[in-house]
Amino acid sequence: MAQQNTVLTAVARAKAGKGAARAIRRTGQVPAVVYGDSKEPVLVSLFEKELIKASSVQAFYTSLCELDIDGKKHKVLPRDVQHDAVNDRPIHADFLRVTDKTVIRVGIPVRVVNHKDSPGITKGGVLNLVRHEIEVFCRATEIPEEFTVDLTGLDVGHSIHLSALKLPAGVKPVTQGDFTVVTLVSPSALKSEADEVAAAAAAAAAAPVAGAAAPAVGAAAPATGAASAAAAAPAKDAAKGKK
Amino acid sequence: MMSPKKMKYRKQHKGRIHGKATSGTYLAYGAFGLKALSPERITARQIEAARRAISRCIKRQGRLWIRIFPDVPVSKKPLEVRMGSGKGSPEFYVSRVKPGKIMFELDGVPRAVAEEAFSLASAKLPIKVRFVSRD
Repeated sequence: MAQQNTVLTAVARAKAGKGAARAIRRTGQVPAVVYGDSKEPVLVSLFEKELIKASSVQAFYTSLCELDIDGKKHKVLPRDVQHDAVNDRPIHADFLRVTDKTVIRVGIPVRVVNHKDSPGITKGGVLNLVRHEIEVFCRATEIPEEFTVDLTGLDVGHSIHLSALKLPAGVKPVTQGDFTVVTLVSPSALKSEADEVAAAAAAAAAAPVAGAAAPAVGAAAPATGAASAAAAAPAKDAAKGKK
Repeated sequence: MMSPKKMKYRKQHKGRIHGKATSGTYLAYGAFGLKALSPERITARQIEAARRAISRCIKRQGRLWIRIFPDVPVSKKPLEVRMGSGKGSPEFYVSRVKPGKIMFELDGVPRAVAEEAFSLASAKLPIKVRFVSRD
C-alpha cells in the first residue's frame, strides 16, 4: 500500500509561463504545480536534486509524499514528471492533492517473479510483458505498490491474464475484461529448432512409405535425412555469415 | 531494407532537422533502448545494418522493435551530369531523427547482452547515441 515517507521541500512561485519557468530552472530548481481536492492550483518550484532522488525510486508514482510549501505541509501524490528528451533532467512536475477519501486512477507497475520455475523460460522462451503497468481505480491512501506475476509453471505459448492476479480489496481495474498481462513466446531460435524436428519427423513419416518393401532401408532413411538436414544447417549459416 | 510501400509524391525537399524530439522519447515496448543524441538523417541501409548487428548479437533471442521508419526519399543526379535539367531520381530513403528519439528497443535479453548489442549497433549509425533502460 502507499507509503508516505518522502518529504519534498517546495517554494511557492508567483509567475507562470515559459520565461519564468526557464528562470527557475537556471537556479537549479524545477517548476511544479499542485492541484486537486477542489482547491485552486498552486505554482511551486522544487529543488532539482531532491526531485531526482525521490523520483528515482520505482514506487514514486504510487506512494504519497508530503510537500512542504513554505512551511505548510500538503499530502500529495506525484502524477507526472516531465523529462528533457536528451539529457533526462526533470523539467516539470505535477502533484495531486489528496485526502483519505480521494479515489484516483493510477498505473500500478507489474513485477514478474519466479523466472527459474517457468519451464518455458528454461527452454529459451521470451517473456513478453504486454502491460508494464495496469491502470486501476483505488483510494489514494491504499495504492498497491506493485502487482506481482508468478511465472511458476508457465510454458511457451501460454499467457497470464488479469484474472490470475490478486487485486487487493477496493482496487478496480480501469479496463474492463480479462486482458493479457504477460505472454511467453518462442524466440526465432526455438522456432527453427522446432521446424527442424518437424522436418525430421515428416521425413521419418515419408520414408517407410517409399521403402515399404525394404523396412531395413526405410528405417535407415530418416536417420540419413536428419543427418543431411543437420549437415546442411551449418553450411547455410556459414553462407549467411559470408554474405 | 525498410522502404515505403507507396508514396503520394515521389520527390521531397531536402529539409532541415530542427529542435528536439517530442514523440518517441521514452521506452514504450522493451526494457532497453537506444536513444539518438544528435539530429541526423538515418538511411534505410544504416537501420538495416544496425538491426543485423543487434539480431546477431542477441542470437535470435529476445525481441527487437525499430521505432524509426525511412519515409523520406532522397534524390540524386547521375554521375557526370551537368547541373540543371530538373531534380534527380530518388535513390534511397532516410528517416529524419531528432535528438531524444528512441530508435531501437529490446526486450527478453539480459542487460549486458542488450548493452553489447546496442554498442555494436551504434557503430553502424552516423550519430552519437545513448543506452537507456527502464530501471
